[in-house]
Amino acid sequence: MANDGFKVRLSRRQFTAAAVTTAATLSMGLSRLVQAQEAKTLRIRISSDIGNLDPAKIFQIENQSVATHIYNGMAKYDEATNKIVPDLANAWEVSDGGKVYTFTLREGVMWHKDYGAFTSDDVKFSFERVLDPKTGSSYAGQLSSIASIETPAPNKVVITLKAANSGFLHKMAAFNQGWIVSRKALADIGEEKYRLNPIGTGPFIFDRWTPGQEVRLVANTAYFGGAPKVQSIVFRLIRDETASAIALENGEVDIFFGLQQPEVIARLKGSANVTVLDRPANHTINLVLNTEVKPLDDVRVRQAIMFAINRDALIKGFFKDTKRAAFNVLTPSFPEYTEDVPHYNYDPEKARALLKQAGHTSFPLDLITPAAAPYDKIIVPIANDLMNVGIQASIKTLERGAFLQARGKGNIPTSITGVVGAPDPDSPILSLYSRSAFPPGLNTAHYAQIEDLIAQASAAPDEAARKVAYAAILKKTMTDVPVIPLYADNLYIAHTKKVQGFVQNSLFTVNGASVSLG
Amino acid sequence: MGSYLARQLSQLFITLFGIITVTFFMVRMIPGDPAQYMLGDYATDEALATLRAQMGLDKPVVVQYMMYMARAVTGDLGDSVITGRSALSEILQSLPDSTILAFAGLAIAVVIGVPMGIITAMRQGTWADTLIMLVALAGISFPVFWLGLASILLFSQELKWFPALGSSSGQGFWNAVYYLTLPALVLGVSVAAYVTRLTRSAMLEIIGQDYIRVARAMGVPERVIVWRLAFKNALIPILAIVGVTFAYSLGSAILIEVVFSRPGVGSTILKAVSARDYQLVQAGVLILAVGVVVVNTLLDLTYALVDPRMRKR
Repeated sequence: MANDGFKVRLSRRQFTAAAVTTAATLSMGLSRLVQAQEAKTLRIRISSDIGNLDPAKIFQIENQSVATHIYNGMAKYDEATNKIVPDLANAWEVSDGGKVYTFTLREGVMWHKDYGAFTSDDVKFSFERVLDPKTGSSYAGQLSSIASIETPAPNKVVITLKAANSGFLHKMAAFNQGWIVSRKALADIGEEKYRLNPIGTGPFIFDRWTPGQEVRLVANTAYFGGAPKVQSIVFRLIRDETASAIALENGEVDIFFGLQQPEVIARLKGSANVTVLDRPANHTINLVLNTEVKPLDDVRVRQAIMFAINRDALIKGFFKDTKRAAFNVLTPSFPEYTEDVPHYNYDPEKARALLKQAGHTSFPLDLITPAAAPYDKIIVPIANDLMNVGIQASIKTLERGAFLQARGKGNIPTSITGVVGAPDPDSPILSLYSRSAFPPGLNTAHYAQIEDLIAQASAAPDEAARKVAYAAILKKTMTDVPVIPLYADNLYIAHTKKVQGFVQNSLFTVNGASVSLG
Repeated sequence: MGSYLARQLSQLFITLFGIITVTFFMVRMIPGDPAQYMLGDYATDEALATLRAQMGLDKPVVVQYMMYMARAVTGDLGDSVITGRSALSEILQSLPDSTILAFAGLAIAVVIGVPMGIITAMRQGTWADTLIMLVALAGISFPVFWLGLASILLFSQELKWFPALGSSSGQGFWNAVYYLTLPALVLGVSVAAYVTRLTRSAMLEIIGQDYIRVARAMGVPERVIVWRLAFKNALIPILAIVGVTFAYSLGSAILIEVVFSRPGVGSTILKAVSARDYQLVQAGVLILAVGVVVVNTLLDLTYALVDPRMRKR
């Protein structure tokens, strides 16, 4: 036995050495083979799987990122400047005091997969479909200012509004309800199947979805804006950020979308072969206070909460300066942005004094947050700050489905809410402050004090008047503070040096249409 | 043999019935509304009500259960609310990925674990035994997702031997091997720890038997004792171990899928649970359960092949 053992030990060592060498050679040979197959494909990491690519019902940034490549709108946001520029419509005219919009459409645009030519009828169909209650679109409200849609010619669309609306072009921009679908494709494919068989006019054509793995798009060589420089785009699902960072550094993916964790951002900034981009987002993350429950109905209590939360410490300490300070629910990426509003610097003394004035020096408060990073983590220092001034804060973390349900019903005292979307000031303002967004909707504050100001902003005849009107809204809402802006989001995207011509937008989507691979 | 098979099959159906019932009520106990999840924040009350009616969620749970059972016996497990496609086909589509991983992991586990178990049993109390059992203890104690992350750091980040991602859409056998190796190894090593421990105790039990002692006393060579006398008889408990670890490796495969970003039943169920996609969760759990039951039934049948005594029971 002893002899045997010696022999075995020797050969075992040799065996290990041989196995390691074989594994290493094999893996290198294989990796070369595999990489050859994937040239000319742009691979983008996403953190969550897709589920619905129907513009009438689309939500979540992964769905929207994929849809961005497939669809066009009448107009679109310039990725770099957020200016509204022509897309499917070449030009538009506004007449009748801002009530009538006449769009002239680009000609010769073809639908993907042989669904024929794009015409004004598709535009009419798309918007009427969103407005039809039977569709059950979440974006019907966005188009509610439309009175009628007419199509005098295949390349002409005339939209008449119920009243002048200075922000109407935002609703026509390529995002969510603004994306145009094909009447023929929807009739052929059917409502149910369409959500994962989208047909658009954009630079990429939907190829296939492998659940739990990836979404594959192929280049539309006949795209009216010119054929893309890559042959295909693969959206690769990788949940973990550290694994995504390794995959990026190893060249297994080209673009890292949804980069959030401060440690991973710091790590990638130190990587030789990686470029890290960041840009202020169009949204803030907020703590919404229900103004109908006691004692939050007292403005002094709400202001006290505002003074009690050390938001700077949150940004510096927790986020390591990867987020920015928020002064109201708009961010600098909106033309209507202003900081000329009441400021609330961290001041626990003032908070205690205000609570004393209001006669509520100590009361219980539930902080409702979704069970998702970073919201379930930042709530802890916030609760601590509130306890510091005598509020008995307790944290209620709800799993996503339960959170959506609770917020949908609207009878929660507080809620962590961000309104991700286009640089359309109405998007956060109507969603958070308007009666039209009373539950169901995000206005769990049940706030209804700026209806007249919203109407004024909508009727503003020009850019300057619009700015004045929105400034008034921001001032009023930051005095009443039904919504506490915690921080302004800042979006990070990393890509390898191979990726050229990539433009990061502020929409919280990723658009690889302009990319070439060096 | 025929009645044996019939008995196994009837047990299979009872098990499945139990599993369907338990998962049905369990997923409905999680708070959250699938309609709200699908329609998002801006959903109107009417849209929610319509969708709930479409999905049958407006009826009492017991009625939903009856309807579900009535359809389930015809093989219709409903449609996934996320994708609108049949829940069963959705799961079956992701099943090959999970099965390949589970079997590859199990194969590695058996190849490592059984010899290790035998070595430790035959050399009970030596340093080799202590060392291997310590490693096995570590293997059991480290959660499989930790092993997965650690191996990504070592083999993908540092050594760059294998990709950090556990799958790709590339075609061909070698492509699949390249992406499967690391997840399968991690699963295999973690399951091997179990197999080693269980094989060791099965072997120890056998070599404690009188006939082994007699054989030793008679001077039968150690090799014959180990392989012909002990191992052959330990095969039945070892087969049973493989059956048990198959269930375990399917369970671990779910975690591995998430760590290595692989598609499969595990990641599908995970997504379904968070979206309150009841039909998809049920179909997934059911298919996994069927897999475990079927594998165990097949193993039961192989006992009969290995050991003639089992056939009569």
